[in-house]
Amino acid sequence: MTIGQLARTGFTDASRASELLSHEQFDGLTSDPDFVEEFSVAANPDLAVLQLSRILDLESEESAEGGSTEVAVEAGKIRKSLTEDREFRTRLFHVLGASEALGNYLIRHPEAASVLAQNGEDRDRLSRDELERLFVEAVESCICQDESWEHEASYLRIAYRRRLLALAARDLSGEVAFEDVTAELADLADAVLAACLHLAKATLPNDAAPCRFAIIALGKCGGRELNYISDVDVIFVAEPAQGPDGELVDEYEALQTATQLAKGVMKAANEATAEGTIWEVDPALRPEGKAGALVRTLNSHIGYYERWAQTWEFQALLKARYAAGDKELGDSYVDAMLPFVWSASERDGFVDDVQAMRRRVEGNLPADQADREIKLGPGGLRDVEFSVQLLQLVHGRSDVMVRSPNTLIALNAMSMWGYVGRKDAQELAEAYRFLRTLEHRIQLFRLQRTHTMPTDELALRSIARSMGFFKDPVRELDKAWSKHKQTVRRLHEKIFYRPLLNAVAQLGSDEARLTRDDAIARLNVLGYQDPDGALRNIQALTSGVSRRAQLQKTLLPVLLGWFADSPNPDAGLKSFRRVSEALGTTPWYLRLLRDESETAMRMARILGSSEYVTELLMRAPEAVEMLSSEDQLTPRTHEELRAEIESTTRRHTDPEAAIEAVRAVRRRELFRIASADICGLLEVEQVGEALSAVADVTIEAAVNIAIRAYEERSTVGFPTRFTIIGMGRLGGDEAGYASDADVMFVHDPLEGVDEQEATKAAMWVANETRRLLALPGADLPLEMDADLRPEGKSGALVRTFASYRAYYERWSDPWEAQALLRARYLAGDRELGAEFVEMVNPLRYPPDGLDETTIFEIRKLKARMESERLPRGADPARHLKLGPGGLSDIEWVAQLIQMNHAAKEQNLQLTGTLSVLNNAVEDGLLESQDRDSLVAAWQLASKIRNANVLYTGKPGDQVPTDPRALASTGQMLGYGQGDIMALLEDYRRRTRQARQVTERVFYGWTD
Amino acid sequence: MDKQTEFVLRTIEERDIRFVRLWFTDVLGMLKSVAIAPAELEGAFEEGIGFDGSAVQGFARVSESDMIARPDSSTFQVLPWRGETLGVARMFCDIQLPDGSPSYADPRYVLKRTLEKAANMGFTFYTHPEIEFYLFKQKFKSGFRPVPVDDVGYFDHAPHGGGQDFRRTAITMLESMGISVEFSHHEGGPGQQEIDLRYADALTTADNIMTFRLVVKEVALEQGLQASFMPKPFEEYPGSGMHTHMSLFEGDRNAFYEAGKELQLSNVGRSFIAGLLRYAPEITAVTNQWVNSYKRLAGGHEAPSYVCWGSNNRSALVRVPMYKPHKGNSARVEYRALDSACNPYLAFAMLLSAGLKGIEEDLPLPPGAEDDVWSLSPGERKAMGLEPLPTSLNRAIQAMERSELAAETLGEHVFDFFLRNKRAEWDEYARIVTEYERKKYLPVL
Repeated sequence: MTIGQLARTGFTDASRASELLSHEQFDGLTSDPDFVEEFSVAANPDLAVLQLSRILDLESEESAEGGSTEVAVEAGKIRKSLTEDREFRTRLFHVLGASEALGNYLIRHPEAASVLAQNGEDRDRLSRDELERLFVEAVESCICQDESWEHEASYLRIAYRRRLLALAARDLSGEVAFEDVTAELADLADAVLAACLHLAKATLPNDAAPCRFAIIALGKCGGRELNYISDVDVIFVAEPAQGPDGELVDEYEALQTATQLAKGVMKAANEATAEGTIWEVDPALRPEGKAGALVRTLNSHIGYYERWAQTWEFQALLKARYAAGDKELGDSYVDAMLPFVWSASERDGFVDDVQAMRRRVEGNLPADQADREIKLGPGGLRDVEFSVQLLQLVHGRSDVMVRSPNTLIALNAMSMWGYVGRKDAQELAEAYRFLRTLEHRIQLFRLQRTHTMPTDELALRSIARSMGFFKDPVRELDKAWSKHKQTVRRLHEKIFYRPLLNAVAQLGSDEARLTRDDAIARLNVLGYQDPDGALRNIQALTSGVSRRAQLQKTLLPVLLGWFADSPNPDAGLKSFRRVSEALGTTPWYLRLLRDESETAMRMARILGSSEYVTELLMRAPEAVEMLSSEDQLTPRTHEELRAEIESTTRRHTDPEAAIEAVRAVRRRELFRIASADICGLLEVEQVGEALSAVADVTIEAAVNIAIRAYEERSTVGFPTRFTIIGMGRLGGDEAGYASDADVMFVHDPLEGVDEQEATKAAMWVANETRRLLALPGADLPLEMDADLRPEGKSGALVRTFASYRAYYERWSDPWEAQALLRARYLAGDRELGAEFVEMVNPLRYPPDGLDETTIFEIRKLKARMESERLPRGADPARHLKLGPGGLSDIEWVAQLIQMNHAAKEQNLQLTGTLSVLNNAVEDGLLESQDRDSLVAAWQLASKIRNANVLYTGKPGDQVPTDPRALASTGQMLGYGQGDIMALLEDYRRRTRQARQVTERVFYGWTD
Repeated sequence: MDKQTEFVLRTIEERDIRFVRLWFTDVLGMLKSVAIAPAELEGAFEEGIGFDGSAVQGFARVSESDMIARPDSSTFQVLPWRGETLGVARMFCDIQLPDGSPSYADPRYVLKRTLEKAANMGFTFYTHPEIEFYLFKQKFKSGFRPVPVDDVGYFDHAPHGGGQDFRRTAITMLESMGISVEFSHHEGGPGQQEIDLRYADALTTADNIMTFRLVVKEVALEQGLQASFMPKPFEEYPGSGMHTHMSLFEGDRNAFYEAGKELQLSNVGRSFIAGLLRYAPEITAVTNQWVNSYKRLAGGHEAPSYVCWGSNNRSALVRVPMYKPHKGNSARVEYRALDSACNPYLAFAMLLSAGLKGIEEDLPLPPGAEDDVWSLSPGERKAMGLEPLPTSLNRAIQAMERSELAAETLGEHVFDFFLRNKRAEWDEYARIVTEYERKKYLPVL
């Protein structure tokens, strides 16, 4: 055959194959053109031909006396079968190409190849008992030759592999269904256990007390759905038996014997011999786990499960099955245990345990492995198994029909009896079979316990071919895998949530039929606090024949899952009902429902997280459309907002109507920012900038409306230049959702205008601006706070530019200069704003920095504030602003650096705290490690502050004390469920570290 | 009602139990107990017993003071010392918040978290404490020097009564509560006893130490005696330490053991010791938490004052005991600074953290010290690079304040409370004028 033909047959290294095939071992074989062609069935033809050449090499082996060895004779038989038995050839190539480990086994034991023969006597599946007989014979053929068991164990391994070879050959050539493969593997495991027990018994001392002894299989072996290679989970149970005198022996002594037997069984299976090991016998699921006694009596088992066992232990018992030893004892064990399993869901804490178990199942998988994993992670095999078991525990209590230790059988039963939709169950079963088969193929290659897809292209190619993908194997496999993963990923929707709808609405004959009580039990387990209310909402959303109801029937199962993962599932569902009722039949809303897109997911997250945003949404439900793209969720720039607002205000002549239109824009923008924030699209700094921009343009619009109103009333026009200076967090572009706007009003009379007259006009405009912004309306009013002005609350609200200058030149305190660090132009006359900033610059950036006395004063002031400013009864450790390491500490560090150095370092002449800290590192004024501590604390405190408003709709300067609010805030910030103190703990750590920096850098304390 | 509740209720009926004590431990290591009547027990299982956390040392600020003690029914145990007629039983509790999530203020949870960290690295942590304490003849009265129950010394056999009987009764009682005792003998000081608990995982051991302290005090009372775990009751006699042997297991294998290595000590074991030494100063405020603890450390005898290790050096902070070569699983290291009055949950968590940190950072083991550190001159100690352990509670607090390891291990809540409380203790002590000062200064100044 030419190299080209070989390549077409499937060889990846055709020239090497050609060279191998030209060696003399292949003489007489390659003459048949079908022979080489046949390699195309192999998953990896290159490997198959290599392994075959090594087998044929054995033929030339000679014994010491010169004759052929036994092995050589067997290899000769293989050569003969290759020409005479087509079926043998096909099956051999299948095995050699898919399993390096079984190939190596054949090289060591060529005689085993006879199981592949067309008429091989042990080619087909044997019953469990036949297998047991076979393995016991293997062990007995050499028992008691020496004490180490080495021989016996090796013989057992050889016999076991031979059966594994027979099974793999049938499996790979597609003769047996998946369910039969896993059941046969479980039979093999039972028989191995029985043989190991036989061996353990044979080596007991003569005077050992007699006992009855049974091995119970759990896990995959218990479910008769075993892998090619996996731990076999077992529990040992024993009872005293009659002694020579006819009396039952002492229980203690019987257990001694039984423990020896158990250890013997484990040793016989686990221990590595020249023939390797079989698999690990793992007794870790026994009562008390690793710390518990290896063997217990039946009563002791019962006592344990009556008293101490945890929910997961009952879940494990679901799969308990007699495997080997005393069958009567084994069966009584299973009979005694099952009642525990089915009453588990009545136990206290069942719901909590299940939630915790669910979180563990879905929990942390290293990200770099997640997409190569077949078993773990969302949408993995473990998730299918766990979910099926969970539903069994919930519904199996009242319905015996769904009780089965086998995943596929249980799933089928649940669909048959109406707990899961029929089609969903079928798809899921298909996906499960596919993923398990994939896992089998990966394991077969080296007979290694693994459930990660290889990354290497060649290995992927063989696996794909072994799965039957011969054309463009790697891509095709990937496609099929993605499809099934997708199915499994939607698992919760299918098996948990969709059936819930049917409890209150009639879907179709193909769907589940859950009773109301079943539905309530299920909703409860899924985390809904008020399952009754939830059911009513589901009913309202799905009743009727409207297109909306139809679409909601499809979408709701998905949404229910998303709500369940949000801080407040019940509120999410209820709000969804409100949105749905408000938006009624608008076409784009129906489109949104139909596509069940990212948009719907964002909506679910928002509705389940934030009262603040839900309320904004209720005022203008059409804003939901904004969730449809990330582009829409990008905050608008200053310029865009200004342009829109200018054209809006121009349309209205009445000031109150005009401001209402402006505030509608503001409302929409707040919704946009908050939604993007909740969906994790914005950093906390970006949120601050976006909120500041919205405040800026809103205030600017209000000023313009006020001036326009003044001009309309007055005959001479507006007689002064008027500007608003932003201060505080708004000045630093760090506003929060509920921040007041800190401002100062400045004006400068036009030439020739009487100053008093001008001040009156400016005062009127300032007050009108404030009034307009504080008007009760559909959104939160925007309060303007001018307390940072000269002389504070007792000073004039509006001053002239000249008066500011005079004041600052004569009277100002260090703290006023410090407050000015965040002053910037905000709205009104831009030029005057710039002049004001110019005027205060030498004040806030003193040319020579601060002298010792001033620094001393500032430190003293800060120390006093720490003890006085805190609201009564507030816990300083939780106060976001004034607590140790809180926002105020960090701001003061930045500000002290600015006042000392900004005159020289231009890059410190900024109003934003974080930019100042970053630039201070650049200027060598702050260690980068210290900056990191400060920034981390600042970010976390700002995030919590924002989250407080989002969750409750009200501002809050504390880490929440109410446990439920704390949990929700934590969840919004990405902390896991079920550990509500984690956020607090993290906050304390960050602020403690920031406080250390403050003490060193701001206060100058040294150790 | 689940089976376990039924079991407990039935036992209470059958054994005529009149009170059930719910136990938990405050941050300073004091056992707290709420007694409830059997009738309330059902509710306690279902919902836990609510209590005001702000009333317990270190548990909560007023704002979140609602806490739940949820009895762990698996720890149900009839208390043996109250006589048969009026039975009393106890259960340990987990401290939770009203939503059922764990409280970070619960010392048991601090240890559990640290054990989990070890588990994530593949280790289980075993400890074995040697607990020393003094027995006195009568109740303590302020101003009177307590009189020890006997006058004999280390390993001496007192001819009758006193410590001998006491130890027998106490051990019987401990065993009846499922706490195994390894060893017991008379210690160095008059009236001083030592009882060693069997090796167990650290959480069980810490629980057992809490029970142990109570049992010892109860038995003493029954015999008309008084027991104390005060670290250093007398200047002239040895203090009461709690030398603790530790080992890490990976599955069934002792991770400290490696055949053929020097002292059969594996790299894991070496780094673990290195971690203990590196972090010893900053964890000392927890392992030795009282003003009085430092008088023991200053006093020589078997108490260490310098950060060093040795294989058979009883003056070293960390000792690697010799053991029979084929007994690899008994490989262990002994930390000798701990005293009997520590909070065992927090102390074990700190030791484990320090050791794990050594493993994580792959710290090299400094050379061992085989000399009696006490007999060296200050110059020699300096030359050998021997750092002292903190010499007072004040120094220990200062070392701990800067410790990220301590904050991480204890959690910010306990870390903060502990430091505040200890600072207050030191400040209070600093203001006290002692008899010593009056005796020394009044006549001459």
